Amino acid sequence: MMKMKNKIFFLAFAAAAVLAGCKVDDEFDGPSLNDLYGQFAIVQGLDVSNDNVDFSSGETTHFTAQFSKNVDWKLTVTGLESGAVKEITGFTNLLDATNALWEGSTTRLPLFKAEECAVELTFTAEVDTLRDTLMIAGTKTYQGFVLSDFETGTNPDWESFVQSGANMSFNVATSATAAQGNSYFDIGGVVDWDWLIGLIHMPGSAYGDVHFPLSENPDDEFFNVMLYKEPTLSNGLVLFQFREDDNNDGVFTENVEDMYSVEINMSENGWKLYSYKYGDLATLINGQPSAAIGNGVHEPHKLIQISMLFLANPNSGYAHTYMDYLTFTQGGPLVP
Amino acid sequence: MRIIYQTLIIVAVVAHAQIALAQDDKKITFTGAARSLFYADKLVQEGAENDTVTIPRLNSGHVLVDLGMNIRPNKNTEILGMVRVRNDYGGFWGSGVTFDVRQLYVKGVVGGIVRYQLGDINYRMSKYTMWNYDQELVSNMPAIFQQQTDVINYDHFYNKDNSWRQQGAAAECALVFRKYVNELQLHAVTTRVKASDFGSVSDRLFTGLNAQLVQSKYLTLGINYTSLYDVPGTARTDYAFQNPVLTGTLQAQTSVNGINLSLNTEMGKSRTHYENNTEAPDWSDKFISAIFAAKHETSGLKISANPLRVGAGFRSPGAQTKRIDYNASPVAYDRFTNDQILRTPGMLDYMRESGMFNLQMRPYLMTFNPSYDNITPFGDATPNRQGIILTASYEKKDAPVKATVSRYQLQEVRGEGTLLPRKFARNMVVVDAAVNKFFPAWKKMCHLSFSMRTDNTTRAGEELVKGVDLQTDVMSIGVEAEVLNGFDLMFGLQSIKYEGFDYTAVRNTYSEIFNFSEYRVGNKETLTAFGARYRFSEKTFLSAQMTNSKQQPMLSTSFPYSINQFMLLFNMKF
Repeated sequence: MMKMKNKIFFLAFAAAAVLAGCKVDDEFDGPSLNDLYGQFAIVQGLDVSNDNVDFSSGETTHFTAQFSKNVDWKLTVTGLESGAVKEITGFTNLLDATNALWEGSTTRLPLFKAEECAVELTFTAEVDTLRDTLMIAGTKTYQGFVLSDFETGTNPDWESFVQSGANMSFNVATSATAAQGNSYFDIGGVVDWDWLIGLIHMPGSAYGDVHFPLSENPDDEFFNVMLYKEPTLSNGLVLFQFREDDNNDGVFTENVEDMYSVEINMSENGWKLYSYKYGDLATLINGQPSAAIGNGVHEPHKLIQISMLFLANPNSGYAHTYMDYLTFTQGGPLVP
Repeated sequence: MRIIYQTLIIVAVVAHAQIALAQDDKKITFTGAARSLFYADKLVQEGAENDTVTIPRLNSGHVLVDLGMNIRPNKNTEILGMVRVRNDYGGFWGSGVTFDVRQLYVKGVVGGIVRYQLGDINYRMSKYTMWNYDQELVSNMPAIFQQQTDVINYDHFYNKDNSWRQQGAAAECALVFRKYVNELQLHAVTTRVKASDFGSVSDRLFTGLNAQLVQSKYLTLGINYTSLYDVPGTARTDYAFQNPVLTGTLQAQTSVNGINLSLNTEMGKSRTHYENNTEAPDWSDKFISAIFAAKHETSGLKISANPLRVGAGFRSPGAQTKRIDYNASPVAYDRFTNDQILRTPGMLDYMRESGMFNLQMRPYLMTFNPSYDNITPFGDATPNRQGIILTASYEKKDAPVKATVSRYQLQEVRGEGTLLPRKFARNMVVVDAAVNKFFPAWKKMCHLSFSMRTDNTTRAGEELVKGVDLQTDVMSIGVEAEVLNGFDLMFGLQSIKYEGFDYTAVRNTYSEIFNFSEYRVGNKETLTAFGARYRFSEKTFLSAQMTNSKQQPMLSTSFPYSINQFMLLFNMKF
């Protein structure tokens, strides 16, 4: 009996000893000491996988580099003609196709053109900067229904009205700094007796049908517009109105059918993309959310007219903005 | 299987309770303690610049009485209420006087079966579930320093059995069987660790359950479950902390050829998570520890081996909460030099500064001092350790000397900041000798103690990261000699020298490591004391001593200084 007990005793000890063996985990806790305290060195310089890339045909390019430790890095591609900027950031010791791929998109408007670009790789905690260049042979194409990109002027079926104020501009302008392409719509002036400076009505019929070619799902349709704010001016307001033909009779009846609006008070200087889900558009009366006028149902497939009004306080002096690339996208906002 | 349930009997439990109740037929008895403690300190700075800002002399002290009333309204119930009246020296006519309730509990036996206690409870379970580990450097401290540490421990309810002082309810009972199994003991406790503020802080409770199956004198099996958890709905917050720990224990012993063999094993797992908080981590990890010991009764020699592995994510607040709050600052000379820089606390402060100690279980790993203990800062339950502890000791009844030699050979289970684990080595020698027992004619007490500990933390350097090499050497010598009846002369020396480099983990509120600090130290602290003690009885003494606490930094960023302390302590328990 005692012998059996001793055997059990020693077996238990042996099992415990084996279980307590010194196997070390194959991962570590916390950030890498090498990243925190190791010396930074560039193991492999910056390189561009495709330095003549045609985004319009679906090509991509990626950037490669390698460092001695993980660091916070920022890759900046700047269009030398447009001034467009694409930024990619990361915290790694390696740049490759998994973390530094570029498919032609833009971080800061305007959109890239077919142009030469400067590539710059910088580090948050290091003074080093790596540089390279690449050529965009074709720009990225964007999906969606384009209301206007102003490259060939305005739609002839649009209706517009402009006040007879001072220093008025209400025309298509051409410049390399357009948000998209080379042209945009220039709106500005001084109107000291009215908030309205000018407006454009864009009827569905301007696109070949009574209604705009949109789906029935208001949560799937997104309205996008690129607007430019001058750094010294902050008095301009852009109001978009979306009129629905609720009863489907082919005309919009004021004060009977729904009109949704969005008022854009530009806060950031330069070009900025504004995107709105159709289902989130509100009924505004004098700029305040109000009860729906018509059936209160967001019905993008019944959208019959879009109006753009440029407004400014009559006492605020000169107001000015640029507008470009009005589109509807499906499934989400436009990703520039 | 014919295990016949014989009867429900409280064996040790009821017997203990009834013996206690039967000792004295008085319904009311008084218990408590009295103390008078006075410190006179002098700061001596050894830097080149004369400090004209810091006041060099500080006097402080207090007198207090803990008066407890033990009421036994019937044979199965006991009530203890204890109040503390304290007056700081210099506080006259009521100023500086505090009046606190120190202890309050009710305990008794229900139906002769279940013993319960309500109110203040001292409770402990296993070393990995609920264990209040000693503060650093205390275990082998000379007796002359122990007097001050005892004051701190008494005030903070740090008991010798490593129990936690909690407030709540506990119950226990035992079942005795006729065959196969001797006894089944059941224990349960729930305490309130933190009260809700009705805002963002929920009520936090600690619950412990323990079942011990005593199969025979050879084998005992146990299950422990503890959990520190927030009670949902007690505050305006959705998330709730939960940290359950489940362990199993096995204790086996036998004897072969006069050698007593024993195996003491515990293994288990923990989970740490916050309900309804996606930012908080959800950790699970395990541990196992087995202590194999062999003792030769005749010679008094004992050897033991303790292989262990405690996972990096093992969290057990009941066992990992520390006594010392290393984020606290000392009251005495908290700033010094002409620039009034913060003074880093030393051994003297951790021996006497009451405000640097913690009473509450913490849900996270507390800050520790790698210079004092980088190997087992959270006791046996220190996470991220694996390896073996070897111990050889000599202790024999009536022998004047007992000695222990230990060797820790541990390393991390998971590297911190690198895949390379840090390696830990500790060598420790502890010797206690009752010198007078070597000479039969020498009747008066003469006790000598000596201990030495060397800790090493190492990790090889990598291509771009510095290696780790931190060494701590601790040495203690203590002498107590009775020169007249009850009158002792005492001497103590304790030094700690730490030098080297390590990276210390910086943790967030969830104990996740998010950064590492470079930790470079070089210092030697020395405590030297001599004094006299008169023992009125076993429970009452008067002690006067002079202590010199010396700091000798080796780095130019610190300043050498000494604190000379005179202490007068009268201590009585009744």
